[in-house]
Amino acid sequence: MIELRNLTKTYKTPSGRHRVLDDVCLTIPSGVSVGLIGRNGAGKSTLLRLIGGMDRPDSGQVLTRHSVSWPVGLASGFQGSMTGRENVKFVARLYCEPWQVRQKIDFVADFAELGAYFDMPIKTYSSGMRSRLGFGLSMAFDFDYYLVDEVTAVGDARFKRKSAELIRQKRQHSQFLMVSHSLGEIKKFCDAGLLVGSDGVRYFDHVDQAIRIFEEQQHAYLA
Amino acid sequence: MRRAWSLFCTAVHALLLRELKTRFGEYRLGYLWALLEPLAHLAMLLLIFGVFMHRVMPEISFPVFLVNGIVPYLLFSGMCNRALHALEANRGLFCYRALRPIDALLARSLLELLVYAAVYLLLMTVLGLAGEALSGDKLLLLAACWLLLFLLSFGLALVFMVTAHAFKAADKLLPMLMKPLYLISGVMFSIHVVPAEYRGLLDWNPLLQAFELMRHAVCPSYPLYDLSLGSLACWALALLCLGLALYKGREPAMLRS
Repeated sequence: MIELRNLTKTYKTPSGRHRVLDDVCLTIPSGVSVGLIGRNGAGKSTLLRLIGGMDRPDSGQVLTRHSVSWPVGLASGFQGSMTGRENVKFVARLYCEPWQVRQKIDFVADFAELGAYFDMPIKTYSSGMRSRLGFGLSMAFDFDYYLVDEVTAVGDARFKRKSAELIRQKRQHSQFLMVSHSLGEIKKFCDAGLLVGSDGVRYFDHVDQAIRIFEEQQHAYLA
Repeated sequence: MRRAWSLFCTAVHALLLRELKTRFGEYRLGYLWALLEPLAHLAMLLLIFGVFMHRVMPEISFPVFLVNGIVPYLLFSGMCNRALHALEANRGLFCYRALRPIDALLARSLLELLVYAAVYLLLMTVLGLAGEALSGDKLLLLAACWLLLFLLSFGLALVFMVTAHAFKAADKLLPMLMKPLYLISGVMFSIHVVPAEYRGLLDWNPLLQAFELMRHAVCPSYPLYDLSLGSLACWALALLCLGLALYKGREPAMLRS
């Protein structure tokens, strides 16, 4: 269960403070994966970052007893002059016992399929290689909730299949909170939906319902 | 509580190894550079003041005097200057919730301590082998001075990190304000050459206290006047508390984008 209590978040802009989230109160029940749906700039990613603790709200709280991942595939934590292996080792030292470090490194090396590049500095990687490493790194650890911000579409068709299969396996024990521009993807991986709009954030038990209302809004806007 | 402490240690350990690797791992001579840089700085000063200017000090040889001022001063200023950029340099890392700004700052500070303690030991060994009269009777005092100097510097580094985040101009202003400290902290002069009536203007300075105590510790005949470890300890404690309190209050703001 994740409880959002009076969450307010603003950003500084040249023309004053821009309010992204205004006094959001809602509860995400245990055991459901949630897709965050909304237009660009509505605050989906902001909400995800607040839930993950990567950013702090102006006021209000995120309450949960579960472990929450960093955004899956995130590359901002990587140090360009260190090799893939060294970067993975660094995170493994933080998130698991010393005796598990080796096993985590082996998992990422095997999953990301970087070959010799695994031992080269990350700044030599292509963006695809970087995301593969990031995705593998997140999946190496067990979290109750994985945060996903537009990354499942990484790599070639075979890698995508492999990733989807891994997510499906993880879904047996963990949940996903997902932002994606592809509604199809959200439908595939999520049970419930959070509709993030200018009029606030609403929770729907069924993701289909959230998508339907979102699409109606879009049509009304176009018409 | 115990879990929090072990998480803290894990985070600092991982960050320390990372800093070591990113700062020196790329170079051919690797970690040796960590020592060579300050060694070169010191060698030059020793050459200028010791050999060319023939400075002499009461009851202590000039190189020993200088090493016991410059090396600890470099530790202090290194920690403070690195604190100004600790937050921005590690910004990307705070997406890992196990890491907090204070972890990053402590890792950087410990690295500085490691480097300068090694430089210090190396130089003192060389000086000892070169026939300088050094005493090992007050090693405990020497260790206490280093520890207190580290705590004091860490307290101030915390203040600097918080200030640099709150005010953009701080990373230009603070180094400027620090410069005079080099001159009044007794790096280059001994408190003895100051007439007794003016000593009170200078001996409140905890850096000067630390350097004079260190000199006394390696050369017990070097007089102390009324400087004491107690006063240095009070300074260290006060600055550490101030730094931690400011940090505690500003931590959420530092993690907010």
